[in-house]
Amino acid sequence: MRDVSSDPEALGLELLREQRGRLADRMRPPWWYLPGVAIVWALYFAGPFTSRSFPSPTSASTWAIVVPIFAVCCLLQWGMTRATGIKAGPRPLRILRDGLFYFRPSRPAGIAIFLVSVAGLGIEGSLIRHGLLAAAIVVAALAVAAEVTAQMSVLRAIRQYIRGGGAAA
Amino acid sequence: MTAEAKPDPLIHPITRLSICGLLAAGADWIEFAALRDAAGISDSVLSKQSRVLEDAGYVEVRKGAIGRRPRTWFRLTPEGRQAVQGHLAWLAQLEQAVSASRADAQLAKPLPP
Repeated sequence: MRDVSSDPEALGLELLREQRGRLADRMRPPWWYLPGVAIVWALYFAGPFTSRSFPSPTSASTWAIVVPIFAVCCLLQWGMTRATGIKAGPRPLRILRDGLFYFRPSRPAGIAIFLVSVAGLGIEGSLIRHGLLAAAIVVAALAVAAEVTAQMSVLRAIRQYIRGGGAAA
Repeated sequence: MTAEAKPDPLIHPITRLSICGLLAAGADWIEFAALRDAAGISDSVLSKQSRVLEDAGYVEVRKGAIGRRPRTWFRLTPEGRQAVQGHLAWLAQLEQAVSASRADAQLAKPLPP
């Protein structure tokens, strides 16, 4: 740490850096958050299996997946906000103002989440069509693990962004 | 958005600088207790200073409740964000200038015999 004792301006900025660090540390997820994220992605990657077993793929199976995913996502977001006291989740108006990845350091992890979700679903669907159910289950499990890891990276990136002062830095 | 580096007398006091700097750090809304703990100030100081910032149109306050516990949330308004960014940029410039002049003074010192 620099010597700021004789420089009030530097003292103010140094203090602010420390305070941002304290705020960023509050963004650590509670114990139930990552299992919750795993449940969301498990539901998502269960999609191709349910559309195979339900007789009408466009109606019942889609809603049977989308509604629980949406509900668990809302619950996770609400719980995280309540536990940390910080609202930093995806907000449509902010996306319009600042772009999709408004926490800049989270961009690589955000792109990884998107790519894994698309590729995982595609590979899974293809394996199921070829009757390779066991392989499809392994792919789904790996994709869920990858998504949870990427979500952890997103949270780490948000903490890093807050510690750095965000757009005001 | 890059704000012009200029001092803002309303934000300059250290407590208000802390509150605004934390609100500008990236979160959308910050809850009273989280802001108080991060800034290291008391409830009454946060209440008083946030009222000043709210009256100036720099901070938006939302009051709600979770169960029976009241919760207060804060966020910067666009004007507040602009002012904070400008003030922090000004502080950073000042800090650089002070460091540079101190380094010059060090160089100008005569060597000890």
